[in-house]
Amino acid sequence: MHTLMLSCRKASELIDKKSMVKLSFKENIQLHLHTSMCAGCKAYQKQSKVLDHLLQKHLRSNDPLGVPQVINNDLKNEIISKL
Amino acid sequence: MDSSNLTSVIKHWVELYSDSMYSWAFYKTSNKEVSEDLVQDTFMVAVQTFDTFKRKSDPKTWLFAILNHKIYDHYRKNFRSPILIENASLQNLFDSNGSWTPEEKPQLWGDDTEHLLDDTEFQKTLKLCIGRLPENWSMAIHFKYLDERNSEQICQELGIATTNLWQILHRAKLQLRKCLELNWFKK
Repeated sequence: MHTLMLSCRKASELIDKKSMVKLSFKENIQLHLHTSMCAGCKAYQKQSKVLDHLLQKHLRSNDPLGVPQVINNDLKNEIISKL
Repeated sequence: MDSSNLTSVIKHWVELYSDSMYSWAFYKTSNKEVSEDLVQDTFMVAVQTFDTFKRKSDPKTWLFAILNHKIYDHYRKNFRSPILIENASLQNLFDSNGSWTPEEKPQLWGDDTEHLLDDTEFQKTLKLCIGRLPENWSMAIHFKYLDERNSEQICQELGIATTNLWQILHRAKLQLRKCLELNWFKK
């Protein structure tokens, strides 16, 4: 296989690697070449970004009232008794 | 402030906020005992560091900042250096040449992904899919997205190499993608 041609397995790896660390010049070219020809990896590239966005918003969301509320009176009493 | 006054202030806060704090911790950790400990610890810290609390700031904001720090600490302490095992559910994604197998090839999700999180049903699905990840993968995900820390900081704190971290996150994302596709986008 040509050295610049990536497999989808490798390309999808680079897509996620790219969202965390800087890719080398060669890796960038390889990835660009691959995604310009491969619909599956192009879709994955988009999905990877969507996932980043969703996870960030979902996990970092600081709206405690947006989550299901649970009453825990035992906990309340225990904390108060220890004060 | 004398100690009886302090106690009554904190007691009032416990009455007001402990349920929503517990709910939040439970939402983040999915574990009752852990969540109870985290909320208790938060109030202990609040008592000890009450002097640093500025009266003008909102007590709820302050308490949740401590709690979020505790939640993060919990993830850090419990992270065991992961061994990368090929997860069974990822085995059939690629064929022997490393190409997507026809049934696993990613299909576009459509353009309206911006408002997905407004849908509580989608939130449930996402949470379900995160819950199905192997424990260490899920922890790595929480670490990466829980706050503003960058990759180097995360690796340093977890004692793993950067390569290891992005490989875990990569596998986690492949699995999440598949799970979301099956349970949401194809439904």
